[in-house]
Amino acid sequence: MSRRLTVVLLAMLVLVGAMSLKTVVVTHSDGSVIMANGGGPVPPTPWKNGGGPVPPTPWK
Amino acid sequence: MPGPLEYVLWFLCTPFEVLALVCAIKKKAITRYFFLNLYIVASLVASLGRYQILHRYGINSMEYVYFYYYSDALLTICLFFALMSLYSYVFAELNAERYVRLGALFLLSGTALFSYSVVQQSSSKLVTHFVVELSQNLYFVGLVLTYLLWGSIMKLRETRTRLIHMVLSLGVYFSLFAATYALRNLYPTMSSMLQALPPLIACFLPGAWAYAFWKVPEEARTVPARLATVPR
Repeated sequence: MSRRLTVVLLAMLVLVGAMSLKTVVVTHSDGSVIMANGGGPVPPTPWKNGGGPVPPTPWK
Repeated sequence: MPGPLEYVLWFLCTPFEVLALVCAIKKKAITRYFFLNLYIVASLVASLGRYQILHRYGINSMEYVYFYYYSDALLTICLFFALMSLYSYVFAELNAERYVRLGALFLLSGTALFSYSVVQQSSSKLVTHFVVELSQNLYFVGLVLTYLLWGSIMKLRETRTRLIHMVLSLGVYFSLFAATYALRNLYPTMSSMLQALPPLIACFLPGAWAYAFWKVPEEARTVPARLATVPR
């Protein structure tokens, strides 16, 4: 039981770490990480998998 | 529509993916590294699907937009499972596969919940917002997990060379994307030039895995360097 709780705790720590990292990156970026709502061309994001040109966001 | 150079850069990745699959089949590593191969197949299918839809409907069509973002999210999920399968291999000797599965499930659900909590205020296209947000968040989770896995490999003195190759190539892949992104933010004037880098980086992962399947035998062993030198 305690092992399971440790795993859950570790997973939570990873999640918190990853989301903190994302927040830091988004804060110090030009906003291209979050594919910004509203107008303007969407810049390519760094983690696109596979090939293909980046299209505009679908919710404009 | 993209120009000829963009097409060339885009489809430069496809031969590497095919090569990785051929090497995996030749070396009988398809089932052993199932999730890694699944990611390569999914990436190949996504590339071909994107090309078909782009060619038929155009870059600004909703068909292409939806296919692009949804396929990207699926690929990120596949990459997450590939990474978790590497965790399973590393922790197999500790009989911790059950806990790795539990952790993976918890992380995926946690990331999905977090993504939903971020996008729930969206008035329209909630599902699409959610899919894109989940894809972004999983990328960061994958990045952190890869570095943690490398730390575990060093700590556990993992010696399986092919496994080390796989994990390192994944780490380099994530890091190169992050570096390109950082460079683009630091030098916005070079943005157009740096845009050519992601398709080239995308070639790295299947290329490195193809090399690992072909050149590194399953039974090969390497001793990683110690984290710190202890004086005698």
